[in-house]
Amino acid sequence: MLAFDEIFDVIVIGGGHAGCEAASAAARLGAQTALVTLNLDLIGQMSCNPAIGGIAKGHLVREIDALGGIMGRVADRTGIQFRLLNRSRGPAVQSPRTQSDRALYRKEMRKMLEGTPNLQLRQGMVVDLLVQQEKIRGVEMQDGRRIAAAAVVIAAGTFLNGLVHTGRRTYTAGRAGEPASIELAESLKQLGFPVGRLKTGTPPRIDGRTIDWSAFQAQAADERPVLFSFSSDEITQPQLQCYVGYTTPTLHEAIRRNLDQSPLYSGQIKGVGPRYCPSIEDKVVKFAEKDRHQLFLEPEGHDTNEVYLNGFSTSLPAGLQQELVRLVPGLEEARIIRPGYAIEYDYVDPRELGPDLQSRRILGLFHAGQVNGTTGYEEAACQGLLAGINAACLVTCRPMFRLRREESYIGVLVDDLISQGVDEPYRIFTSRAEYRLALRHDNADERLRAYGRELGLVGDVDWERFNRRRDNVAAAKAALKSTRLRPSDAAYSAASAGLGDLGSSITLEEVARRPGITPELIHRLLINQGELSVALSDVETALADDLYSGYIRMQDAAVKRLRHHDLTPIPQNLDYRSINGLSHEMIERLERSRPLTIGDARRVSGLTAAALSTLYVVASVHN
Amino acid sequence: MDLAQQLGARLAHPGEFTLRACKNSKMNLTQAEAVRDLIDAQTDAAASQALRQLSGELSATLQPAKHKLIKTIVRLESALEFVEDDLPQVETKQISGELVEATNMIAALAATFASGRVLRDGIKVTLVGRPNVGKSSVFNRLVGIDRAIVTEIPGTTRDTITESIILGAIPVSLTDTAGIREAEGRIEELGVERTHRAAADSDLLLVVVDGSRELTTEDVGILEEAAKAKHVVAINKSDLPNSVRSEESLSEFSSVVVHVSAVTGEGLDELTAAILEPFGTVDSETAGLLITDSRHYDLLRRAQSSLESSRELLDSGASEELVLVGLHNALRFLGEITGETTPDDILGEIFSTFCIGK
Repeated sequence: MLAFDEIFDVIVIGGGHAGCEAASAAARLGAQTALVTLNLDLIGQMSCNPAIGGIAKGHLVREIDALGGIMGRVADRTGIQFRLLNRSRGPAVQSPRTQSDRALYRKEMRKMLEGTPNLQLRQGMVVDLLVQQEKIRGVEMQDGRRIAAAAVVIAAGTFLNGLVHTGRRTYTAGRAGEPASIELAESLKQLGFPVGRLKTGTPPRIDGRTIDWSAFQAQAADERPVLFSFSSDEITQPQLQCYVGYTTPTLHEAIRRNLDQSPLYSGQIKGVGPRYCPSIEDKVVKFAEKDRHQLFLEPEGHDTNEVYLNGFSTSLPAGLQQELVRLVPGLEEARIIRPGYAIEYDYVDPRELGPDLQSRRILGLFHAGQVNGTTGYEEAACQGLLAGINAACLVTCRPMFRLRREESYIGVLVDDLISQGVDEPYRIFTSRAEYRLALRHDNADERLRAYGRELGLVGDVDWERFNRRRDNVAAAKAALKSTRLRPSDAAYSAASAGLGDLGSSITLEEVARRPGITPELIHRLLINQGELSVALSDVETALADDLYSGYIRMQDAAVKRLRHHDLTPIPQNLDYRSINGLSHEMIERLERSRPLTIGDARRVSGLTAAALSTLYVVASVHN
Repeated sequence: MDLAQQLGARLAHPGEFTLRACKNSKMNLTQAEAVRDLIDAQTDAAASQALRQLSGELSATLQPAKHKLIKTIVRLESALEFVEDDLPQVETKQISGELVEATNMIAALAATFASGRVLRDGIKVTLVGRPNVGKSSVFNRLVGIDRAIVTEIPGTTRDTITESIILGAIPVSLTDTAGIREAEGRIEELGVERTHRAAADSDLLLVVVDGSRELTTEDVGILEEAAKAKHVVAINKSDLPNSVRSEESLSEFSSVVVHVSAVTGEGLDELTAAILEPFGTVDSETAGLLITDSRHYDLLRRAQSSLESSRELLDSGASEELVLVGLHNALRFLGEITGETTPDDILGEIFSTFCIGK
């Protein structure tokens, strides 16, 4: 019998973006929860760029918020440069993003957690998972303490077996200056989990006082910020500017000359890095024909001189980084405060998990964030939220919660992970969602708020707010259809300015479909018609619903056509090795993921069309 | 064989061995489909087309169009996903041009279905004409055996007779019918009704007239009726000395007129050529790949129409995500023939084409 120093319902290992969401959600769902982290002062730390959101990532944050998560609220309170990306494109691919005050984000996140009932913070390093009869029982700490829990969420980020590289030097670390979790990684291996190795990197941080800002192009925040949280009304932080500059051929040449000092090119780094976030070494080698690469200078906050040199991720030796940075026009005098580095870390094959992010191997053990091979704060946070919700559901005997691909980016991300696994750090993109047009950032509440309410994560105030908004959107839609403009109306001339004749009678909805008509104009016209409670954002949502409805039908029909075999079950006792038509590689891929249906099999990465049709025939015959 | 069956063996059902091969995973579904076509092939040309599909030629033929489509998707997707990444401007005109080219390639392939279908499924040809012009003699000539009973007595053929033959490289289902005239007897009336039915159901009508006599009102009625459909006029009995009928006197009814003699066989090659002409010259040696499967044809047409609507949207200045709906749909349709392109494939293309990453 194991003896424990403390007993909880849920333990969350790690205080990053996944861990924070997981702990907050589990505690608010009534589970006695402990968040165990190496350093309480670094809760909610942004290890890489000081920004939240972006294309598809912003969608994730709004979905987290709609479900009752906390990232959106904290981001709204600490954002110092809000911008809606893709403003010139359709609403489905617009997405909010903000630069964040790094220190303020940590502070706000910790405050949020400390104000959460049922949640306790514990500092220390988990060195072992305590498992009995394939059930998690608790964890053991480095100082010998044992903490019991029926559910454990691993959200250890890059700390699992973390190895930092700068030049030829390597040292074990979870992030620069913080210890790695070696024993926990070993413990996962001992439990039989398949473990792989990934790599990521970060650029140097520069002293802002040494930058010639005039050499860069300023980029201002939006005048009308679009926020993450459906509960936020306005931003509170003064907005700052970012700056854009470029590398030069001289710099590229200097990097190429020194490639022998890059652990990436010497073969020292074995882990696979993300292709969409290449190091500056990769950029100048793989895209040698480009004579310049874009750089962003991003202020880290109001109370610091640190500036993040986005686009200059590198693992070259620190001294060399200093020389190279000075070849950037405007950075001739720049001084590096923290050098960039690459880090390799362990991840566990996410095909070990179910759609609730619980391990199939050990009951009550959940994995969230980088341990699943993902990259990005938003990707981590949404997994943390899902794992935290389900950890609490497990210990309170409620049904597990899952999200589908067609209703959320979170569903797309989880489904991709558990069915395909990862070959490189996984990042969300809008093109991963086959239902992209239906999954807008502005309708995340319509899609998911009710789930959050039902689970118990959305409080009365937020729920009423949501219902009011829903009524307003409905009112706006009705008014758009019923309001007719005639040439005699004053509103008609406002709408027809620059558009020519609108005809003898036209509905507002028809006006809105014309190119060049802004939601702002439609909003003004609606206000004129007496729809006083409808906000601009409600009009935008109503118009976006209208814009996409026809396309969504077309998209659904094509996807459904493709998927009509998807529900065909694959016998779970099927011996893939007995199927002659399958190559050895296909057999291995199938054995790893054990798809439940043809639909699951179709998403197994690397499975050929021939293998899939063979599998379909076998499955059909078995049925 | 009988003994084997007496001992409990049974004949295999059509395609049973293919299905078993499939079940035991000796081959995949696509291959099994091609094998089915191969077995069903009625002519060498159809068999050669099936073999070409079995060897993956259809996928290979579609690759250039698919490649253009993917290139366009990559371009538009990266403009959406990597808005801050200093990518080259989207050149709408150039992309529109690429889409037109891809659409044309797909349309051209789809258009081969007219010939492909004929090659695989063949055509139905029905002989019509008033009684005693020699329909059954022409029929027997084409079939090559005395299948229909031929007498001097008008109206000998009371029922329709159908034979499968190969004309050129094409399977033809040839139907001989009762002569069309004002019916007198009950049996003949039924026969005439069947004639009308067979004629309505055929791909081509072969009108036979007697070249040794003046056209009757019945002939004219039949010729006028036939002119509404694909047809060939055969002027029979060209061997008789009193043959006076010339193409000119028939020209008001038809442009396709051939002189034949069912007795001597004269003019049969010309008749065969005239019958096949409207279905395209299908030379199995020189023809390119033909679409023979209606499923493939349907998918190509869907892809084509998706591409066309996407190009219109692009030209009208619509946002990329709308243009992409049709492009992704087109890719899915092509994928049902050539194998799926996953989002990861597209992302892989993006990362190898553009330097992405802040």
